[in-house]
Parts: sequence; C-alpha cells; structure tokens
Amino acid sequence: MKISERDWEQLNALSDGELDALSAQLLRRRIAESPELKAAFETLESSREAVRRLEQPEFSDELRRRLEALAGPAPTTAQIQAKPDLLSMWRQLAASVAATAVIASTVTYMVMAPATASAGIDDLVTSSHRRSLLAATPVDVQSSDRHTVKPWLDARIGISPPAPDLKDKQFPLIGGRVDVIEKEAVPSLVYRHNEHTITLMAIPGAAGTSSPVLVASGGYNVVRWDGNGFNYWAVSDLESQELRDFVNDFRDATSAQP
Amino acid sequence: MDDDRSAELFRSVVMPHLADGLALARWLAGNVTDAEDIVQDAAIKALRAVTRFDGGNPRAWVLAIVRNTAFSWFAKHRPKALVMVGGLAEIDEATYGDEPQPDLGPETPEATLIRRADASMVEAAIAELPLPFREILVFRDINGLSYREIADLLNVPMGTVMSRLSRARARLATRLAEKDK
Repeated sequence: MKISERDWEQLNALSDGELDALSAQLLRRRIAESPELKAAFETLESSREAVRRLEQPEFSDELRRRLEALAGPAPTTAQIQAKPDLLSMWRQLAASVAATAVIASTVTYMVMAPATASAGIDDLVTSSHRRSLLAATPVDVQSSDRHTVKPWLDARIGISPPAPDLKDKQFPLIGGRVDVIEKEAVPSLVYRHNEHTITLMAIPGAAGTSSPVLVASGGYNVVRWDGNGFNYWAVSDLESQELRDFVNDFRDATSAQP
Repeated sequence: MDDDRSAELFRSVVMPHLADGLALARWLAGNVTDAEDIVQDAAIKALRAVTRFDGGNPRAWVLAIVRNTAFSWFAKHRPKALVMVGGLAEIDEATYGDEPQPDLGPETPEATLIRRADASMVEAAIAELPLPFREILVFRDINGLSYREIADLLNVPMGTVMSRLSRARARLATRLAEKDK
C-alpha cells in the first residue's frame, strides 16, 4: 500500500530520532492506527538494520603503518580501530579528573584522600544530573521505547548503552540526553520513580563487571558499577535502597539481553 | 615546532576518525583497496590542514576531508564515473507529481523479505544507489552523523538531507525486497 512522500520522510526522521517530542508522539499514534504506516515503518527499520549489520573494513597493516608514520613518533602507540575515541575516552576522562584532583589540592580533596578518579567523576555526574533537573525537561529525546532512545544516542555520539524500559518495576524510561563530562559527550538515560528522576550515565569502559557501590555526592545518592562494556553511574535523590532496587532491576534487564 | 604541533593534533583530532573515514571511502569507492588509497591521501591533507581545524566536530571534519579526497581521486582515476554528478539537481528537485511514490514502488516492500537479505545483497543494493544517495545513507547509517552534521558537511539544507536520505532508503528497501524474491 502506498504512503505519501511526506509520511515516508517523517517515518525516516522518526527512526533517526530527528523529530521533536511532540511530532514523534503524534506520528507514533498515527502508526498505531494505520496498517500502511506500520508496514512502511517496519520496512524502514528492517532495511536500516540490514545496513547496520554490514561489517566495516579494517585497516590493513600496511595502511596502519603509513598512517602512524604520518603522525610521527607518538608518546604511546596511536590506536586505529573502530571508534577508538570511545575506547580511549574513559582513560582520558579518568586521567584528566585525576589531574584536576592533583592540581586542585584543596582541603576537600585532602579530606577525601585517597582522591580516586571515580570520586571526581561522581561529582561531575551529579552536577550533570542537577543541571538536567533545572532545565525545562531532563531529556533531549523523550520516549519510553529503547528503539528510539538508542538510535538517537547512537546518531549523536556513536554510543548507545542498553536502554530497557523498566515500567513493570515502577521505573519507567523517560528518554535520553547527551551530557558533557570534561568536554566529552556521554550518553545519559533518564528514568522516573514516582516523582523522582534518575539519571543513568553510561561511559564505555572495559569489558569486566563490578558490583554496585553506593556513594553520596552533593546531596544525591550515586551508585556506580561496570557491566556490558560500560561504566555506569546512577544518580538520584531517591532513598539509597530504592536506587539500589533500580540498579538491580536495570542489571537484571540488561543481563537478560543477548 | 609546527610539525610537532601538527603531529600532535593529527593524533588527537584525525586518527580517531580515520576508521570511520575508511568505512565512508569504502562505500564511495566500492572497494577497500581504493578506499585505503583515498584514506591515505586524505590523511596527508588532514595533517597539512589540522592546525587550521576550528575545534568543531572532529569526526565531521575528517569525514568531509575523506569525501572531498574521494571525489578528487575519482576525477583522477575514474574520470567517467563522475558524469552522473550533473544529475544532482534533478534528484533533489524531482517532484512526485503524477506518481505519488515511485521510489517505494507500487507496494511497500515487505519487511520480512528485507530481513532475509544477506550481506552481499545489501552491499550490492548500496553500490547501485546513485552517489548523492549513497553518501548520505553512509553518513547516516554507517558513520552515524545527525541530519544537522550531514547538512553542514555537504553544505545543503536540512530538508535536502531528509529528502535524499528517505529516497535512498526507499530505493534500498525496494531493491532488497526484489532481490530476495
């Protein structure tokens, strides 16, 4: 069945996370009511998926050698691989925060000694959470559908953490946004519990997993852990036990994913 | 000193995005061997220009250099292949007038058929897209650029990005569903 050119464009913009929240909501309603639009949207999503599944080329050893020669002798071997900026980001972030901690040798840092990189990041993550609460809306893309939130984040910064909707557990997914931590763009998911907002920041990290650790930062509770190749920070003004429940539900939901 | 500064910027600004550049070049050129040539040329250009990088989006900056280098490379090595660029205005301005949806064909291609398409079919279908369609599809679905970034990179309005991208995907979907029959 035919759909109009304009509708097809709008479906594309929706799939790309490029529609504003209101237009997206109206279009989703129309898709739900129209078998033609629904079929076209499925067609679109499946062909995008087919393209994304393609393997991308890797550098031959020869080209890698030439590029590294161009860059001259590097302090450390420069890595060229898919998205190395994301892989190195966490290290840079930790290093820069550690440097800040050293430079800002204030009483605060002395008292908190040993000032670990994570402690510094807790503060940055908490600040981002606080800023988001002051904004008109804590999300840049509003959706409870991970198929919208993930591509939206992926399109903007090339990072898309797992984004399960935990509505069944009383933690509905509200949407996502991009935060900037030490000049690096990082993805944040936003969940709600009753009237409380939870920011879940996911920074690509090592493949290992670690158990959740609860800390307090700037009047908020923060739980951090590692898993699925991300270092996670969950921040909220929820009671610590409720925030732990959220983290456990999130971890259950993401470990169940293939 | 300038060389040191260039090399340092090259490592921090350019190198992290050359893998994306290689993916772009591969789809523009149609094969990895030519793509590696293009990326190497692009890297040399980027090294020369990197001190003038304005601190904007480094990935879009690198991809723009790769794209421009690819076109220079085509002009030199495949002079005949560029003839179709003249049709660009036609592609954007074509209206749907009498035929409401020529790109999508008489029926919406079935998602189930597309899901069965294997990688070689998808590669062939992308390769068949006219270059202006193909590059936008790659910028979006392989390099992951936003509409805004693509519009800035190509210096075209956002509306043009939307329209070219959606037409590219319509063609691709139609082709994938056909090939699978």
